[in-house]
Amino acid sequence: MRFMIIVKATKDSEAGVMPNERLLAEMGKFNEELAKAGVLLAGEGLQPSSKGARVKFSGSKRTVIDGPFAETKELIAGFWLWKVKSKEEAIEWVKRCPNPHNEDCDIEIRQVFEADDFGAEFTPELREQEERIRAQVDAKRR
Amino acid sequence: MRFMIIVKSNQQCEDGMTPDDSFMAEMAKYNDDLAKAGVLLEPDLKGARVRFSGGKSTVIDGPFAETKELVGGFWIWNVKSKREAIEWVKRCPIPKLGGEVEIEIREVLEDDPMVAAIPQLRERRRAAVRE
Repeated sequence: MRFMIIVKATKDSEAGVMPNERLLAEMGKFNEELAKAGVLLAGEGLQPSSKGARVKFSGSKRTVIDGPFAETKELIAGFWLWKVKSKEEAIEWVKRCPNPHNEDCDIEIRQVFEADDFGAEFTPELREQEERIRAQVDAKRR
Repeated sequence: MRFMIIVKSNQQCEDGMTPDDSFMAEMAKYNDDLAKAGVLLEPDLKGARVRFSGGKSTVIDGPFAETKELVGGFWIWNVKSKREAIEWVKRCPIPKLGGEVEIEIREVLEDDPMVAAIPQLRERRRAAVRE
């Protein structure tokens, strides 16, 4: 099963405060353990929401709102994609994660949809197209 | 520049509804367009939340109430500017599923020391930037 591990933002992360050396070393070690265990698939940190935007859809209308956004605790500061056997395993790994901020914060664990979760609606033709897109993306990456 | 495109969840999404055939086809076409344009880097959710308080952690099981703040899905895109990302988002077929939909566009840190420590991620990033 794949899980998306979401590190929520804090006042500091939204202000663009970068982590100190001690946290970087701890996080580096944690990431290495994840990689060695074959758990780590991807991971990224995000710039503060002041550099982002939102597009709201309502019928055919699209409204663009530039950041920053006020609800700091609901924003994302970074994420990983992990491959684990269960939600429990993901939780155990998250508990071992160094606290990513110098203040209280939340890490959210969300299961990722796999192709089979879509059932018959995800027709063989669509699966084929999806595989082609993934191959195209992978080729570009290399 | 790389952007994380976050599709916010809504009630239908949290209820676990499955989209129909024609929507899936439209979405596949959109992804295909993104891939052909070289924009798409990373395609693509149930849950628990772990709360940190100093060294202590508390586990809260889902579902969570604040539907609009949850993530329904995401992409990582490689584009020249935030404006280009916005133009692509405007073409996204997801709103056809109904309900109010919001998509957030967030710039990815290119020199993030938190993940730079991982060789395989660094390699992937280099490949993305080279493109």
